[in-house]
Amino acid sequence: MSLFIVMIKEIVDNLRDRQTVFYALLFGPILLPLLLGGSLVASFKQLSIDFDEVTTLSVQHAQRAPRLMEFLHSQNIDVIDAPEDVQNSVRRGDVLAVLEIPEDFAEQLRQGRPAPLTLHVNSADKESSKAARRVQAILSVYERTLNNLRLQHRGIDPTIFDSLNLVENDVSSDGSNGQLLASILPFLFIMSMVMGGFYLAIDTTAGERERQSLEPLLSLPLKRSAVVFGKYGATLCFVTLSCLLTAISIYTLFHLFPVELMGGQIRFDGRTLVRAFLLASPLLPFISALLITVSAVTRSTKEAQTYLGLMMMFPMAPFFLLQFLSVKSTTLTMPIPMLSQYQLLESAVLGDSIPLMHIALSATGTLAAAGLLLMLASRLYQREGLLD
Amino acid sequence: MIVVEELHKSFKRPGARSFRLPFGIGKPASSVADERVIAVNSVSFTADDGRITGLLGPNGAGKSTTLRMLATLIRPERGSARVDGHDVTQDVLAVRQHLGFMPHNAGIYPRLSARENIHYYARLCGLDKRRAEQRVGQLIEQLDMGKFADRRATGFSQGQKTKVALARALAHQPQTIMLDEPTNGLDVMATRGLREIIRQLASDGHCIVFSSHIMQEVAALCDHIAIISDGCIAMQDSLQGILQRTGEEDLEDAFVKATRELSTETDR
Repeated sequence: MSLFIVMIKEIVDNLRDRQTVFYALLFGPILLPLLLGGSLVASFKQLSIDFDEVTTLSVQHAQRAPRLMEFLHSQNIDVIDAPEDVQNSVRRGDVLAVLEIPEDFAEQLRQGRPAPLTLHVNSADKESSKAARRVQAILSVYERTLNNLRLQHRGIDPTIFDSLNLVENDVSSDGSNGQLLASILPFLFIMSMVMGGFYLAIDTTAGERERQSLEPLLSLPLKRSAVVFGKYGATLCFVTLSCLLTAISIYTLFHLFPVELMGGQIRFDGRTLVRAFLLASPLLPFISALLITVSAVTRSTKEAQTYLGLMMMFPMAPFFLLQFLSVKSTTLTMPIPMLSQYQLLESAVLGDSIPLMHIALSATGTLAAAGLLLMLASRLYQREGLLD
Repeated sequence: MIVVEELHKSFKRPGARSFRLPFGIGKPASSVADERVIAVNSVSFTADDGRITGLLGPNGAGKSTTLRMLATLIRPERGSARVDGHDVTQDVLAVRQHLGFMPHNAGIYPRLSARENIHYYARLCGLDKRRAEQRVGQLIEQLDMGKFADRRATGFSQGQKTKVALARALAHQPQTIMLDEPTNGLDVMATRGLREIIRQLASDGHCIVFSSHIMQEVAALCDHIAIISDGCIAMQDSLQGILQRTGEEDLEDAFVKATRELSTETDR
């Protein structure tokens, strides 16, 4: 009972502290995902071409190729007239790209010879080259259609020219990019947990010692363990809330701006996020216990911030470790808190199947570590030096 | 009622090695005594109900350590102490239930209002929500805190902070009340107000232990005075008794004489 009274008081007290609320409810769950996820979404938006999006293309002398214009239209491209000074307007960026149709285009086509086309593009401008790539892709489809028609006209099977059917499967650069993408989720989850409980843990332990409110509190008729576990409960609430909000904000971000990551292999949809949250959930009691225990050793909030600041390396260590060394998920790595969650969450994001054994080992290892830390925190609160 | 018999407590000297390096590396401490500071050597006194007992001594005499042992915050190494019949080492929770302790720093929560600060303690002492609210209202009236009861404690004056801390210590209606230097940092009016409250509590039958290093304060307030110096009780009696026994006219001279007698006694 007293445990809950302590817990509720600490939650109410800390909800009134701007710093705690900022880091727990704003920084971890909203700013960090926006910063990392947002830049990710933005860069993908810039590189990827959406063929369903209706766009316009400036064409010079469109009347010389009516069929081609029809085809462009069917491919979601609205043709508009080109400006007077084609070269300079492309260079200046007034128009992204201009397709020029020479005078002899129709004539060459009719005679079965290569028909000339000019595409004006400014390759220094990302948007311009993106537009040009889209036009090129559409034109190559058109070219293939024309080729097939010409061959069939002469009684030749067009597939005879397709001696190779090459399917590219890039495992090098894109593969490692994928892992980086997949590890963003555990990174954001763990960071938000740490940030969520950081200031509350400091305030309720080191802060209480610093403002000398611990002495009267401990002289009340209640067990010291109730005090420790009440503070732990309050930290756990903040850590959980922060992580939940992070999951929601990541879901919202990728829901509002859907991007194809690695050909749809990486997903940040609701199902993935729920799965990831459940896999990460043993970390909630673990990180709360870690925060409470470390700050219970310290005498002042400043000291606590120093120690916990160093502790922030922990959530980052597996992130970098897994980037540079490929540590395979094995039964040996699974009982290790944080590392195992990184591996499990990566698999969840990549849509891999995860052995039940791994989930069990990860949860057991992490919860056991949390239990040990809590016992240590409880012991720390029994010592007499606490009041110095 | 508090009965203290020969309490003793020592602490590790700051900077003393807490563990020895193996193979005799490093300078060995010559004896265990070198590594420890004796905070309370041998303290015995009795504080009766309905009386204000003053624990008078200079800074570092062992007042706070004694009160902390009585409040079950630290364990005495030797000796015994009973609060309303409950032993401070055996019956920890019962002692805390009977004791209201106000340490020398108010230590109130700045982001909570005065009312919330007191309510928190009342709830922790086992009062249910309704009774806690009732008790808090009662205390706010008793200690005349109505004007600032619902303001957050940031920016409270020292007098206001002390009142909140006192109200918190009284939340569970303890029979015995210990106040560690409660008038520190208070102005004249606040000190007078606090004295009135303490007198009232004593006349209601509470046992009050009041520690201070200010002579006039103790002389003005206490029915019974225990002079503490270097971790020992030098003399204890009523103010009149102490003046008679030392043959002095005021408490300050009596205090000096009593502590000098104690040190020559221990030297011998």
